[in-house]
Amino acid sequence: MSVPHAPGFLLLRRAGGVWGIANAAVSGLARQNGGYRIATGGGALAADEILGVVESLAVRPAALVMRRFWPEATAGLAVHGALPVVMVDPSRPPAALRFEDGEGETDEGRD
Amino acid sequence: MAEPVASTSGNGNDNRRARLEGTHLLVRAGEYACALPLAAVRRVVRALAVHPLPGAAGELEGLAEFGGEPLPILNLARLINASPGANPSYPVTVVVWVGPPEARETIGFTADAALEVVHVPADAIVAGDGGFLQGEAPVGGEVVRILNLEALGRDL
Repeated sequence: MSVPHAPGFLLLRRAGGVWGIANAAVSGLARQNGGYRIATGGGALAADEILGVVESLAVRPAALVMRRFWPEATAGLAVHGALPVVMVDPSRPPAALRFEDGEGETDEGRD
Repeated sequence: MAEPVASTSGNGNDNRRARLEGTHLLVRAGEYACALPLAAVRRVVRALAVHPLPGAAGELEGLAEFGGEPLPILNLARLINASPGANPSYPVTVVVWVGPPEARETIGFTADAALEVVHVPADAIVAGDGGFLQGEAPVGGEVVRILNLEALGRDL
């Protein structure tokens, strides 16, 4: 599966939520057993499902009050369709997105 | 003693201002009734679909979409350490402003029910922790928690 190196955002589902990452930060995308491994400059991320690529998103800063109850860094929040999207800061991805070596062997794709 | 807003009216601008500042929306959150400053309440809607945030504290249920915008959703009962009540028949999301006026943010509270709008005079409030829990006051035979939504955004 190829990754378009163009302006826009890759949308993915992981741990019950929808996440977005800037296409420019993605260097590769590969199938893994039952999911995906996404290569970024900040490390590999894991996805349960790839929802697609969108050209633009209206990204808003995350509310400060969220920091009190959720310690992860984000690049902001957005909405796609009726789904809230957490934008991933590839240099500080949430723990739920970090690809673990034991998640499965890559079976196709490229980095 | 607090009273329903519709039952009285103030005289003069000072009275009206005082009444507006003391006007609250009562909501049920677990075992407690809570009073939210009405000026900070934007909407009350049927409970929104919430998408969880992995790793979040229990107070933060997740994110919802509201009016095309992402909306953090906090569990009001968890915020005030209330024991869960019976399964609510008409749970709601109360969309509010939190934080100081110059830096307010929009969030949603999950609550078991929206009850009524009441006036709670400042002198009826027994001081609480000085933060999010402003204090307690008697309303209609029940002691309710008076919440300070500016403090929720401030106490970070």
